[in-house]
Amino acid sequence: MKRARNRQIRVGLAILALSSFLVSCATQANSRFYGKTEAPKANVLHYISGSEPESLDPAVPTGQPEARVLMALYDGLVEYHPKTMEPMPGIAQSWEKGSGGTEYIFHLRKDAKFSNGDPVTAKDFVYSFRRAVSPELASKNAYLEYYVKYAEGYNSGNSFVKGPDGKFLLKRDFDGSGDVISAAEDSFGPETEFHKFIGEPERLTVPGAAKGRTALFEKDPKLKAAAEGKEFVPVRAEDVGVEAIDDHTFRIKLIQPAPYFIGLLGHQFFRVVHQPTIEKHGKSWTKPANIVTSGAFLLKEHRPYDQITVVKDPGYWDAAMVKLDSIEFYPMEEATTMMNLYKAGSVDAMYNHTAPAAWNDVLRGYKDEYLNFPEVAVEYYTVNVKKAPMNNPLVRKAFALAIDREALAKFRKTTKPLVDFSPEGIFPQYEIARTKIYTEELKKQGSSLEEWKARIFNPEKARKLLVEAGYPMQQNGDKFSFPSFPIADVELTYNTAESNKASAEFMQAQWRQNLGITVPLKNMEWKTFLNVRKQLEYNGLARAGWVGDYMDPFTFLNLFYSEKNDSSTGWSSPKFDKLLDDANKEPDEMKRFEILARAELFMMQEQPILPLQTQATNWIKKPYVKGMYPNPGTLHPWKFIYIERDPEKWDRDVENIMINRDEWVEGQIGRLMASQTEFIEAKKALDNAPASTAKAE
Amino acid sequence: MLSFILRRLLIIVPMAILVVTVTWGLIRLAPGNFYTDEKKLPPAIEENIKKKYGLDQPVYKQYLLMLGNVTCRTKSADEVTANGLQFSVAGADFKCFDFGDSLKYVGDSVNTIIFRHLPYSATMGILAYILALGIGLTAGIVAALKQNSAWDYGSMALAMLGLSVPNFVLGPILVLVFSLGLYILPPARWGGVANIILPVITLSAIYAAYIARLTRAGMLEVMRSDYIRTARAKGLSETVVLLKHGLRGGIIPVVSFTGPALASLLAGTVVVERVFAIPGLGNIFIQAVLNRDEPLILGIVAFLSILIMIFNLVVDISYGFLDPRIRYE
Repeated sequence: MKRARNRQIRVGLAILALSSFLVSCATQANSRFYGKTEAPKANVLHYISGSEPESLDPAVPTGQPEARVLMALYDGLVEYHPKTMEPMPGIAQSWEKGSGGTEYIFHLRKDAKFSNGDPVTAKDFVYSFRRAVSPELASKNAYLEYYVKYAEGYNSGNSFVKGPDGKFLLKRDFDGSGDVISAAEDSFGPETEFHKFIGEPERLTVPGAAKGRTALFEKDPKLKAAAEGKEFVPVRAEDVGVEAIDDHTFRIKLIQPAPYFIGLLGHQFFRVVHQPTIEKHGKSWTKPANIVTSGAFLLKEHRPYDQITVVKDPGYWDAAMVKLDSIEFYPMEEATTMMNLYKAGSVDAMYNHTAPAAWNDVLRGYKDEYLNFPEVAVEYYTVNVKKAPMNNPLVRKAFALAIDREALAKFRKTTKPLVDFSPEGIFPQYEIARTKIYTEELKKQGSSLEEWKARIFNPEKARKLLVEAGYPMQQNGDKFSFPSFPIADVELTYNTAESNKASAEFMQAQWRQNLGITVPLKNMEWKTFLNVRKQLEYNGLARAGWVGDYMDPFTFLNLFYSEKNDSSTGWSSPKFDKLLDDANKEPDEMKRFEILARAELFMMQEQPILPLQTQATNWIKKPYVKGMYPNPGTLHPWKFIYIERDPEKWDRDVENIMINRDEWVEGQIGRLMASQTEFIEAKKALDNAPASTAKAE
Repeated sequence: MLSFILRRLLIIVPMAILVVTVTWGLIRLAPGNFYTDEKKLPPAIEENIKKKYGLDQPVYKQYLLMLGNVTCRTKSADEVTANGLQFSVAGADFKCFDFGDSLKYVGDSVNTIIFRHLPYSATMGILAYILALGIGLTAGIVAALKQNSAWDYGSMALAMLGLSVPNFVLGPILVLVFSLGLYILPPARWGGVANIILPVITLSAIYAAYIARLTRAGMLEVMRSDYIRTARAKGLSETVVLLKHGLRGGIIPVVSFTGPALASLLAGTVVVERVFAIPGLGNIFIQAVLNRDEPLILGIVAFLSILIMIFNLVVDISYGFLDPRIRYE
């Protein structure tokens, strides 16, 4: 019986192979484009956006699938640049930063409107910023706003500690750091009651609930004594460091300088929402019947797991620019299905990492459609530095050196090798600084940049390091082994996925070949895996990926900041933390990057992770979809996108898509950027004129 | 008969509670929860979430609340919900089968989600089953009547093929041929009649094959039995013998199969729904498990277990009409 069944299966497979061969002969009629390629008659974009959005409330979801839809529905202070994702003016026409780097003033445009016609004012931003961190909303993204003064205290339900004399305990007196940033000195713009309050030295906050407070006091007797007999005043929404100076001027106060903060503001979390709608409808405010939005498009229909339709908002402040009449988002996760729809001409473009590995060679051939560009995302293996033998940096380095990253990238086809932690090809300015610092530092250490770069793969040195670490090597011809290496204490854990498995097996083979060590592999379901990794319950190595929140290397390095960091490695270092703090206090961009580079080199030499590869975008779009670029986050400001019906003007050879100039897109970017550059120019002129007289005094 | 039905209906309640309890236990044993993600949450945010969803309560309270949601519980004054059954007894407000809110999809109740996605799966499932019945019964009867002929071998070989080719292979082949080769049917997504053809065929294949084999076996057995010989001896025409006497007994195995088959078809079929991007319940169920969306998982489990038990009951009752020898005690 079993035999018979096997035979049936074999027959089935043969039929499958035959039919797919026949069909591929029939369809691969060597056309220039992949599948049916006709520009749609209507200005409608059909876009596959990833999994079903958790919510259409911009403050709630954390994922990129949601971000893509929400960017159509909501505008924020700034918008992402379609190519680089740098911030460019959105509802804020222009902005300025205080000299200390902790205060920002935004000048809002006067014609911005919600979809119901209400004007968007600074008060709406105050509401949106306060609501986003309210403990009742319990947003997972709230941490993004923790740079804003007292946002963390409010979100955590903390309290200020007020003495009978009306004076509050100050943070600088207790956290041992002193007043790191003399925040009070950084103050500009008109003086208001709120501004006076928010400019005072930062107050100490303690848990609002008695239980958490007692726990804290037990750990810190000094704090307990200081708080004795004092009043606990809850941090309120009104204390969060955002202020509407007038209807069109919005001010933010940060706890520390954060040069990347403007870049962060394009995130959906900071986009503006309509207070009366939310208050009226409660949690069902995002239903199509209730929703009021602020972006270029209106929500027309939402059929979960099937389709989200948005249409152009004629009342949008920049409606003249919007060329698409409608976008249909299809939430979908099955890559093969997406490819089928694309090939049949039912969708025009899709999100990143969608081209299945097996199709890669075919897709690569469609030079007008396939987009594979570096992303602000890295893949690496974390090392549990708390457990032997990986607690020895030499062992970690040996494992890092024994893998051939170039070969891995060739094998994976869509990725690029990663040598450091922050990805290459994404932060050009930072990379200049990094090269400079690395050359300097490595010279001091008696090494060189070439040698450092060569550490991409150096099996000989890897073996030497392992010997140094106290594991004698045995050599037999070109085979090596380390019999005393405690292999039982090392394994490679990854979350179940075809691609992770392939990479892990590749790594396993590399270590076996170059070190003679066979690392056992272990796969786990995603959420189980996350738990194990976070609790450092894994032995040796675990797979990890990190996607930057904003376009600055800090979004990567911050992962290792402080003792309680999120790196899932158990590694931390006060020296590293100090470097990051210093970097963010540095007003000069290049100098700041140099300090960050020092921090990165220091961290990488400790090797709490083994870098593997930078992710690449790996998606396809029809050539008639224009203004859509493979930017590092695959987040498209939809108002730049249009359908081109003239095949002569379609995108060709998309390898050069970032360099090629689309006059209309460039023109729009120039027009939008003008308000900020003009403002900065005018301010410079103004500053220079009285500065000379001021000096004379 | 009536007491049989009543007894069976009463058993549904403890059975459903058992199923739900086991599921709940398994969810709680599984590591991770709905808010764990690549990025670790600051403790304060985690506290906020736990408080918001009542995860800071003692475990037994969470269990009772869950059980109350899945079955019946009193409704507090500040609860605004129109889901499930609501009634008042002796001044207290009660609500039944209101499964609560999804943890992942903010602002959506579990009841809304189930009844929003059930129609997709149900439409597809029922159509697929009708198709499967049509093909399967015909093939089975033909094979039985022409036993050991080319008809028999042919249809049974096809049935074997239908059983052995999994639907994640059949679906893509159909798409390859009809959507990407001939460009006559859409490759995926919900939409018009054209969209539903390929998924329904894919889905029905295995059921048609199974039904064909069951029918053939059932018919072969019945057609040899004494009462068929009697019917023929009475001089009845072959059509009447076959359709009135033979088929009634012959399809009893098919009927037993129909209960669970229809229930699982209604519940949605993950593979076909994913391959064809259909927003059915099966897709939602898998996502709910991956998201650890507890109320949604429990809601679907409770709903499905009740559905399956009711279908089985209906099947059991229908035996009596098909075969007068079966009695209910």
